Amino acid sequence: MHFGSLLLNSFELQHLLPSAKLEVGHHLYWQLGGLHLHGQVFITSWIVIGLLLIASFAATRNVQRIPSGIQNLMEYALEFVRDLTKNQIGEKEYRPWVPFVGTLFLFIFVANWSGALVPWKLLRLPEGELAAPTNDINTTVALALLVSLAYFYAGFKKKGLGYFAKYVQPTPVLLPIAILEDFTKPLSLSFRLFGNILADELVVGVLVLLVPLFVPLPVMLLGLFTSAIQALVFATLAAAYIHEALEGHGEEGEAH
Amino acid sequence: MFDFDATLPLVAIQFLLLVVVLNAVFFKPLSKVLSDRQDYVSSNNTEARERQDKAKRLAQDYSEKLSSSRRQSQTIITDAQTAAQKQSSAQVAEAQRKLQEQATSIQLELEQQKQAAFSALEKEVDTLSQQLLKKLLGPELAR
Amino acid sequence: MDPLVAAASVIAAALAIGLAAIGPGIGQGNASGSAVEGIARQPEAEGKIRGTLLLTLAFMESLTIYGLVIALVLLFANPFA
Repeated sequence: MHFGSLLLNSFELQHLLPSAKLEVGHHLYWQLGGLHLHGQVFITSWIVIGLLLIASFAATRNVQRIPSGIQNLMEYALEFVRDLTKNQIGEKEYRPWVPFVGTLFLFIFVANWSGALVPWKLLRLPEGELAAPTNDINTTVALALLVSLAYFYAGFKKKGLGYFAKYVQPTPVLLPIAILEDFTKPLSLSFRLFGNILADELVVGVLVLLVPLFVPLPVMLLGLFTSAIQALVFATLAAAYIHEALEGHGEEGEAH
Repeated sequence: MFDFDATLPLVAIQFLLLVVVLNAVFFKPLSKVLSDRQDYVSSNNTEARERQDKAKRLAQDYSEKLSSSRRQSQTIITDAQTAAQKQSSAQVAEAQRKLQEQATSIQLELEQQKQAAFSALEKEVDTLSQQLLKKLLGPELAR
Repeated sequence: MDPLVAAASVIAAALAIGLAAIGPGIGQGNASGSAVEGIARQPEAEGKIRGTLLLTLAFMESLTIYGLVIALVLLFANPFA
């Protein structure tokens, strides 16, 4: 299942600029007992997870009543995701969902920014290149499917089998649309994140290919901004879906 | 680009593990810190408010006491002033009386001395006039 | 690769991204205009309006991104190649 780059092969400027090369669809393949893995996704996601864990340990190692430094930063992050979850799910039921939604936000945020800030291209891999973990469709689909599972779990836990009543709630005519929605939700979630991050990196890559110095900087800044917003959007939508499942029938005003 | 493989479930499992671990090392402890701080702040706040009330009450007490003692001291001062007034006027009257006495006694004495002097002078005048007569008229005529 | 498929893929990719940019462009323009109007009418609500605007802009932006994903599929992972 390895589609090489089709048309941009004609852009082969490697002999001119060794670090300016567009690669889409090349992966560092790992074998794990007959299973194929994308090695670069795991390498960068481990780095991201390590960063998060180090920051958490550093923040909670020596807690002060008056926070400073890393503790202050992580408390700000915690309050941010807690407010996000509270705004979406509501005061009453948001508490158990803070870790899930918060981890979604933090992981995606750090992953996106790592892709934009860390000069991965300096590290040579045998094949493919290091990039943000969210640059790979596997990661985003995994996260989106987890969100689907999460809201199904929330609905079942709250209402049992009565959760399915929401599919036929206003009228059974909308049943197909309601079922379709369960498929479009993870699809739109994953493609939004994947497309945005990939588009960022591609735009930067193309600009670097054309003008290697200074010109890509504004686009890179825009990429940082979009990355942060996409992490926020993903977490917000996950919380909104969970809220919808908890509330049951009624509003479905979410953009897809 | 769209090659799904075992990366997907492994990333999902990895992410779930991350949720569990972060819940243990990040969300729970820091939430506890935040709520502890909230409690601390609110308890401190109520304590401070109580203390402020207490201080206000104390200040009121003190000001009441202060005004009452001020009134007391006022009365003491006026008492003392009237007593001193009385005493001083009595003393002044006494002194005046004594002075008067002394003045009258001195005047009397002066009067007596004047009388004595006058009488002595008259005697002398008599003898002198006798002698004058004797000298002028002779001792015979003088008789 | 068949040159006809290659040419069709390139044209389709260009159309995908170009057409997908029209609707979100109009939508983003409308949203931004309304947001500016709202800020002008109520300057004290600027922070809230800006946050909501950015979120909705991201949603609209993702529609174009879907087109972009299709274009990228056609260019880099063409199933008919």
